[in-house]
Amino acid sequence: MPRRKEFSSMFIQGFLVLAACTFIELGAGTFLKTMEDALRAVGGLAIMTLPLLDLRGNINGAFASRLGSALHLGVIPARLKMTRELKVNVVSSLVLTLMASATIGIMAWATGVLTGVEVDILRLLIISMVAGMLSGVILAFLTIGVAVYSYLRGIDPDNIAAPLMATVGDFITVFCIYIVVLIVG
Amino acid sequence: MAVYRLGRIVLESYPVLVLCVLIGLIAGLTLEKSLERIEGTMVIVMIPLLNGIGGNLGSILGARLASALHLGVVSPELRGRVLRENVRTSALLGLAIFSFIGVAIFLMALGRGISMFAALKNAAVFMLASLMLLPVIISSTVILAFASFRKGLDPDNIVIPVMTSIIDVAASACLLIIAVNIVGV
Repeated sequence: MPRRKEFSSMFIQGFLVLAACTFIELGAGTFLKTMEDALRAVGGLAIMTLPLLDLRGNINGAFASRLGSALHLGVIPARLKMTRELKVNVVSSLVLTLMASATIGIMAWATGVLTGVEVDILRLLIISMVAGMLSGVILAFLTIGVAVYSYLRGIDPDNIAAPLMATVGDFITVFCIYIVVLIVG
Repeated sequence: MAVYRLGRIVLESYPVLVLCVLIGLIAGLTLEKSLERIEGTMVIVMIPLLNGIGGNLGSILGARLASALHLGVVSPELRGRVLRENVRTSALLGLAIFSFIGVAIFLMALGRGISMFAALKNAAVFMLASLMLLPVIISSTVILAFASFRKGLDPDNIVIPVMTSIIDVAASACLLIIAVNIVGV
């Protein structure tokens, strides 16, 4: 059943994606730093940024992982069409995003209160939930695109989708937080 | 027949995500304490790289194992050719990408204008830490995939979030132990 070819392609596809992620990660450092400095101005937001980035990577990593399984199993066809199974997957990711972003907002508020930082809970909740939803929607569709496209091209989505989305997700999420902070003020 | 249900994905994932936020907070606090000691060294650059790429490597193995478990190609037992090949290829992939990053760190260190010896020392710190981390990545991924599948949970929902959170803590710990206590950067 498992052929040599399957594992040599895991190695080659995996190496190329991880090398790309390394460069993105190195580039992201400077970009994230600039953005994060701007974000420190909002009380409590600094506590929230890293957990929100991790959360984004986790929800999308799991989504990408489910898509990989579903494509292999044939549960979700390799077409850019919103089938019932795909819709359930997208909606669950977004519901989870809302619940977990709200949890993080409340935790950031509690941490702020305990450590004596002045925080506005409503503002933190709005920022975490709106930025979470915004990045969630963008990344959900990017993940579907990457998984389906790679599957159609004969590339195993399990080898590339989760790593790629986790790395690109950091960029998009920080950018979304930044935009929402600009709007909410 | 519906394979994915909103309730199941949300109920399985939410506790996992909150657990991950808590692990992330612990990781952040531990790092915060050691930050002064490594300020201005290359270790600051290494931490996100080892966290990120280490997590990505585990994500590939995790997504593959989850698909293989769903397809019935792998049974949740520590034996069999498919598991062995997946673990072996992940180990090789890890060695290849970490060596690649090791070279990049050597070049970046030289670019900062430090001596050849110090640059080599930095690359050695990264390589040693990644060699320490690699077994943690592979074993935690395999254990989480099999344990969650046996419990009737979907490994796609569990492995990537929990494993990447564990790796965040483990990667920083490996780097700090090697860099500060053994090599002395």
